[in-house]
Amino acid sequence: MPYIIPSGRLFGRTNAPKADYVVMVVFGGGLRQQDAILQRYLADSQQYNVEGNILYNILEGAAPSSKIAYGTTPAGQPNGSKPIPKILSQSIQKQGTIFAEMRAISGGHYGGLNSLITGSRVEGQGLKVRPVNPTIFEYARRFAGYKATDTWFIGNTISNSVPLLNSSKHPDFGLTYGANFFAPGITFGSDGYAALANAKVYHPQEELEPTYKMKNFLDNTFNIKKGDMPGIRNTDDEKIRIREFIANTFQRQASGQIPMPPVSGGDGTTIGYAAEVLRVFKPKLLVVNLSNIDGCHSNYTGYLQSMHRADHAVGFLWNYIQTQIPEMSGKTIMTFAPECGRNYQHNPIKDENDWYGYDHGDANSLRVFGGMVGQNVPADLMVGSEVNPVGKVTDMTLTIADILGFKDEVKSTGLVDPEAMSLFDRI
Amino acid sequence: MRIFKLIIGLVLMVFFASCKKNKGTFEVVDTPSYGDNLNKDKTKSNIEFHSILSTNLFQKPSSINELTRTDRVIQSCGDKTLINEVIISNYMNSANVKLPSRRMMVDSTERFVEETYIRFFIRRPTEAEKTWFTNYINANKSNPYFRPELVYTAFSASDEYMFY
Repeated sequence: MPYIIPSGRLFGRTNAPKADYVVMVVFGGGLRQQDAILQRYLADSQQYNVEGNILYNILEGAAPSSKIAYGTTPAGQPNGSKPIPKILSQSIQKQGTIFAEMRAISGGHYGGLNSLITGSRVEGQGLKVRPVNPTIFEYARRFAGYKATDTWFIGNTISNSVPLLNSSKHPDFGLTYGANFFAPGITFGSDGYAALANAKVYHPQEELEPTYKMKNFLDNTFNIKKGDMPGIRNTDDEKIRIREFIANTFQRQASGQIPMPPVSGGDGTTIGYAAEVLRVFKPKLLVVNLSNIDGCHSNYTGYLQSMHRADHAVGFLWNYIQTQIPEMSGKTIMTFAPECGRNYQHNPIKDENDWYGYDHGDANSLRVFGGMVGQNVPADLMVGSEVNPVGKVTDMTLTIADILGFKDEVKSTGLVDPEAMSLFDRI
Repeated sequence: MRIFKLIIGLVLMVFFASCKKNKGTFEVVDTPSYGDNLNKDKTKSNIEFHSILSTNLFQKPSSINELTRTDRVIQSCGDKTLINEVIISNYMNSANVKLPSRRMMVDSTERFVEETYIRFFIRRPTEAEKTWFTNYINANKSNPYFRPELVYTAFSASDEYMFY
């Protein structure tokens, strides 16, 4: 059924969609290629000849056989000595396609996230300002006609400008087309509990409807300029749903019903709340940002543990979508990529195991891997290699647009990296 | 002697021609000078917003710790209006919130509307605004759910209240 969407087009989709839903997991903070997909464990970083795969939900490969420090810490046992059991019966590599050697645009934090979310090369982008170029959320809402609750960005923090990535400041897009955002550690943490958990639950028709009617009258008599909007806008009906979600989340949290990975905390908790948003809203597009791995600057052991937990959380999320959300099962593609890699040479900071930390910013930190899994994604396929890089992080925006059916619209804006392609077109 | 009389006469002339105490009364006359909403073009920061709002609702300011916490919560949500509404609902659940009575709203609707505009927007309502709100409140008199709390929530969550 044709309908007029916000772009003014009669038909929103310019290519056949490959799936109904997209979930993208961003490993913010930088994942060192040698330690991750190359499965060198301590061999390329700490001069111990121990190799192995600690991302065994995502990748195929045997786990390290000695110097185990990437797991959890049972009482009285050495730090990180217990690996987390694998969740997926078949790795994401077996189920989907891995791009073994991609290129990041920036070795820095905000630039890295920005390039993943906007698909642009982000030159001249400062911190503490919204992206200059439109985000994938804005493309999705404008070109596919999605409402605000169809697009979500789940952040791990309110630092590092992360809350600003749900929308750009581009004059043709902007907050009007921005995504909903939660940083669950704050929204549903102790701060949020104090400020939100005791909120009155108003009757939608008898109380909220007249309140919104009065508010809308007041807003109509005050001419707010587009550039002055303090945040994105949901419709009144969407606001009622989100209010219910917030109230229910605190209740479900108190009764332990939020779907958390078996080993949670930190990024795992962020993934748990992302799963809760997926369960309730079934958004067309959800992006979740993780960042515990950035502890690698000063704690290599903690970084290994965070990597391993991130893999566990990704396995949990994919499994949850397939088994607990029937509306999304079999109709979803999950993509993932780090915002950047990490340096080739270590820094001078040693952790408790006398292992060196790694920063990011050199040429090695532009080496990353990515992947996708789900409906219409070729299974058990590895594209590219160390000597044959294929794909860039800026491909992610066009890949999502391709999956949801508006790739050509995004390309025609001229606002994405001219060299970027959908990962499907790279296969 | 003649000169002396002349001097006396001159002194008396100067004395009677000099300033007289003005009998008129000059006082400050109460003339409300509320503005309009046309010049409100600066957004309140999250902390300013909730500092003013909590003072408005509780008649006492929040602590800086509470305001900082609230600021973080607002930053953690993409729809600032929505999260402000939820925080306002949280305030409304407090026993310390100071609201006019429903009887006052119903019996003195025009006064209630005027006072609410002044309280939140620091301006008087236009005739159109006063008429709309008076009519709306009157139309909801029989709705037992309709209370000053909802009117205050609408004003607190309005766009205009976010600006100064």
